Amino acid sequence: MGSAIIVQGLGRQFRRYYLDRPWTLQEAVQRGLRRMAPVERFWALREVSFSVAPGRALGVVGPNGAGKSTLLRLLGGVGRPDEGTIEVHGRLGALLELGAGFHPDLTGRENLFINGLISGLTRREVATRLESILAFAELQDFIDNPLRTYSSGMQMRLAFAVAIHTDSEIFLIDEVLAVGDLSFKRKCLERIAQLKREGCTMVLVSHNPTTIREFCDEAIWLQAGRIVAHGAPDVVVGQYAANAAR
Amino acid sequence: MQTRITQDNLRRLIYVRDLLRELVVRDMKLRYKRSVLGIAWSILNPLAQLLVFGFVFRFILPVKIPNYSSFLFCGVLAWNWFSSSLLLSTGAIVDNRDLIKRPGFPAAILPTVRVTSDLVHFLLALPVLLVFLMLDGIRLSSMILALPIVIALEFTLILALAYFVSTIHVIFRDTQYLLGVLLHLLFFLTPVFYDVHSIPTRYQALFLFNPMMRVIDGYRAILIRGEFPVRVWLLILGAVAGVLLTFGYRTFSRASYHFVEEL
Repeated sequence: MGSAIIVQGLGRQFRRYYLDRPWTLQEAVQRGLRRMAPVERFWALREVSFSVAPGRALGVVGPNGAGKSTLLRLLGGVGRPDEGTIEVHGRLGALLELGAGFHPDLTGRENLFINGLISGLTRREVATRLESILAFAELQDFIDNPLRTYSSGMQMRLAFAVAIHTDSEIFLIDEVLAVGDLSFKRKCLERIAQLKREGCTMVLVSHNPTTIREFCDEAIWLQAGRIVAHGAPDVVVGQYAANAAR
Repeated sequence: MQTRITQDNLRRLIYVRDLLRELVVRDMKLRYKRSVLGIAWSILNPLAQLLVFGFVFRFILPVKIPNYSSFLFCGVLAWNWFSSSLLLSTGAIVDNRDLIKRPGFPAAILPTVRVTSDLVHFLLALPVLLVFLMLDGIRLSSMILALPIVIALEFTLILALAYFVSTIHVIFRDTQYLLGVLLHLLFFLTPVFYDVHSIPTRYQALFLFNPMMRVIDGYRAILIRGEFPVRVWLLILGAVAGVLLTFGYRTFSRASYHFVEEL
């Protein structure tokens, strides 16, 4: 049995531009095409290697700007590594950028279909899961109202419900567990725990040490694009917390 | 293993088709949600243009072209699709940041969505054009069966250009504005309200590089003159559109690795 995710020597370079970089052709021409080129390139991720066995959960901690979201996106195939390789074996589901494609003027049902398709389901697959998604989101009574009449918590519930009905084998989760009210939040956490028991692999970014301790089998600590520590969640989270406190 | 691969491919195919359909429907719903006239706009807009151009070129600057109204209608519909699709698809990437950041979302579908929803408008207006032609005393021939060829060529051409402009718009955010100016000028350099044959010979070369000239003339050949468009031009147009599409798609794909950081 191989790994579900294998990342080897991963590096991703970003370009940093002048603060007053021209964003229009008109400005660019006026300045004789100067200040267009990047000031410098910097590594958002460098020499990152790890693997995740099927059914295991990896936690990722680190300060803002450490490269956590970039890592998740690269795992999801958004952008390309400049160095190293990423192998992902299994159908990927993402609990990040939830609610992409939502539009306030469309009804809940219309948005549900679009969001389901954007999450990788075919029309028929969305249709067969419709009841189950609605039941989970607890939105049956409002589903034909326009989305703009929903509270932000209700919108998140809809988005989350779609995302966990994608039959994925691997989930990328980015700090979305702050969904809705307390009871719905508990329901989400339970659902994620259930998915894990069913054998789903997970990569979970969170600032909440409890979440990492509770769900993850191991953890990595990212700092300025590099892995500082990799090991048991308790140990890594402890090290990270101790470092942050200093 | 073999069957697994073909099955995956088939599922992917169904998926992309479903996604395209859903996004096109969303696009059209949103465009008409707040307007009372709704979908009728796609017909009223060219009719209004027709009225004004017809008035100007019949009574003020008379143009000697038989069935001028029909002639004009063909040109206006084809040109409108071209220019509004290009303008709309310019923002396809910048206006959809949240989709671009979604893992697994095929970014290349975004320009296609906009061009396709304008194709639907074009097809909705087509019956109106046909009725108009018949009222104008034109007898439609079986040549009309060749219409899909010209439509497919125009679609390919627009899509190819859409990949370029939507990529450029990520770097220069005034592309849409500049393109608007450019299209406005190009409108006069395209035989929309005049005929290809009325261009003096010494200026013909100037028009050689305007693919829309051949597209519009293709529509007119089929619908008004009842003949098959000049084959050589169709072939050249097809080749140009094909090469542009390949090149445009490649440029788009290469740039798409950086879309997220530029948005």
